[in-house]
Amino acid sequence: MNDLKRILLVEDDPKDVELTLTGLAEYNLANEVVVVGDGEEALDYLYRRGRHQTRHNGNPAVMLLDLKLPKLNGFEVLQQVRSDENLKMIPVVVLTSSNEERDLVRSYKLGVNAYVTKPVDFHEFVNAVKELGVFWAVINEPPPGSVKKR
Amino acid sequence: MGTPAPASKLTAQVQQTIFRYGLAFGSVAAATALGLLAYRWDLEESVLMFFVLAVALTSWYGGLWPAIVAFTVGFLVFDYCFTRPYYSLVFGREDVAYLPVFALISGLLIWFGTVRRRVERELQASRDQFEMRVVERTAELQEEVAERRRVEEILRERASLLDLTHDTVFVRDMNNTITYWNRGAGELYGWTNEEAVGQISHHLMRTIFPEPLDEINAELLRTDRWQGELIHAKRDGTRLVVASRWSLQRDDSGNPIAILETNNNITERKQAEEALRRSRDELEVKVKERTAQLSKMNEELQLVNKELEAFAYSVSHDLRAPVRHISGFTELLQKHTEPVLDDRSRHHISMILDSANRMGNLVDDLLAFSRIGRAQTQTTTIHLDKLIKSVVAEVGPDTEGRKIVWRIGNLPVCHGDPAMLRLMFGNLVSNAVKFSRTRDKSEIEISSMNHASDEVVVFVKDNGVGFDTKYKDKLFGVFQRLHSQEAFEGTGIGLATVQRIVHRHGGRVWAEGSVSNGATFYVALPKPREVKQ
Repeated sequence: MNDLKRILLVEDDPKDVELTLTGLAEYNLANEVVVVGDGEEALDYLYRRGRHQTRHNGNPAVMLLDLKLPKLNGFEVLQQVRSDENLKMIPVVVLTSSNEERDLVRSYKLGVNAYVTKPVDFHEFVNAVKELGVFWAVINEPPPGSVKKR
Repeated sequence: MGTPAPASKLTAQVQQTIFRYGLAFGSVAAATALGLLAYRWDLEESVLMFFVLAVALTSWYGGLWPAIVAFTVGFLVFDYCFTRPYYSLVFGREDVAYLPVFALISGLLIWFGTVRRRVERELQASRDQFEMRVVERTAELQEEVAERRRVEEILRERASLLDLTHDTVFVRDMNNTITYWNRGAGELYGWTNEEAVGQISHHLMRTIFPEPLDEINAELLRTDRWQGELIHAKRDGTRLVVASRWSLQRDDSGNPIAILETNNNITERKQAEEALRRSRDELEVKVKERTAQLSKMNEELQLVNKELEAFAYSVSHDLRAPVRHISGFTELLQKHTEPVLDDRSRHHISMILDSANRMGNLVDDLLAFSRIGRAQTQTTTIHLDKLIKSVVAEVGPDTEGRKIVWRIGNLPVCHGDPAMLRLMFGNLVSNAVKFSRTRDKSEIEISSMNHASDEVVVFVKDNGVGFDTKYKDKLFGVFQRLHSQEAFEGTGIGLATVQRIVHRHGGRVWAEGSVSNGATFYVALPKPREVKQ
């Protein structure tokens, strides 16, 4: 796991991971994705701890974050990231099933950059993921210290 | 007329004078005669006694001057007749001792008589005086008695007036002895005038005082009156509550002499008050119980609401995911197997996709529907014309290739939750678009009615397929559909959502229409008080 990739996908549901990667594959961004299955691992990756101890230095260009996660949920991860001097600038996009307003409000209060509800319709979903990947990983200029475009 | 009296009085005085001096001479003459007789019988020693007796008699009955006359004459006669030398006024040596003895005894008798008479006179004078005073006093007393009779008569008359009143009036003296008892008192308490008068009022009626009697009396003496509520017993033992007023009567010099007590029976009023108080207490207890029940129910409701919210939240997260996966992987399957599958299999795949999409829509609609019940409404002023314009713009994509005539009239300003009202009108407008799509030219009218002063009425009218009025009640039910899924797709939640939003705003919603003649949906929203003038 020494890969240094532009997109960090925090998603516990392998089916959603697969569908997301399918969407990103259309723009050849699938290889730019690191997938972690829970909030704790997401922080391990960011802090280069445990399994990710040996990875190269640098922050992802964007983190796609689910809210309902095992161990630490998306809010807790977001809170930790935003309170850390080295991590706080990482663009974070919440990508979740829920369109509950309180989730939306809480996410923005914690300083999320974007909030996307996963559409039920496959085409919409793929489009959404695609656009997200393209915008954040390709179009957007990430903050200093992020993994550079190849 | 007064002249005969002094004349007769004078005559009586003269007669008395004659009698007194006559007594003097007569008694001396008698003493002389008796002396001569005694002398004849050699009893010369007792002669002097006769003369002393004559002087004494005269002194006793005749007074001072007749006594002096009697003594003088008696002395001369005694000297002349009974001392030697007899029949001469010369004092003989032998009998000279009799004369001073006679003079001495006579003087004593005369002095004694004088003293006696003076004492007698004084006694008489004081007796006369006393008698006079007795007479005077008697006359005064008679006058007083007459006065008292008159006063009593007046009092009786007044008392008979008091008898006319139905109020209970009685009078008691400062020892609380009843001195007057009117008819009203008799009727109320049951004792007759004869039975009550003379009794101690507080004992008779077994009075229970609201405060110590000493304090009541102190107030009465200070202010001349007292009033308060007393509990009395009637003759038959029944207890009464009376409103009692006491007035103190004072005599001319300001000393309290009697108390006038007027009582009104307020037992029934007190009982009514008591009953009222009891029922109020009971009511309060009930209210408390009910409040406790309600707050318990409220707690339970809140609990249920929380559970419901947790449930909806979890549905929102967890139910949508598998639907999305079914839909997503089926699409991928469809994409990859398209060339190799037969028509039948392709049909099956499209059915799966269709169902997954419906399921997704159902979940979304249900979540929106449940959110209306849970969400806090935020009331603001809403310009309905702007809101409707943006709603119409939103349904644009669904109307592509269709001919739709929009008639949007004057729309009022109303108050409500913007997000909810937007959802509500969105549902109504998209329904109008959907159910009029079979027409060559759809006509959709959105306007307000000449509404009442306390509500805003907006309607959405279409020329679509309409509905059968006998199913009017089912229109707004959750999952209630009047058309087949094939004819018009839908989840059956839209109008239920509309109704729920309207109800949360305290308004009404109803529909008019008939089969194939279009439908009109009316929404009435209450105006807020500050807008109503």
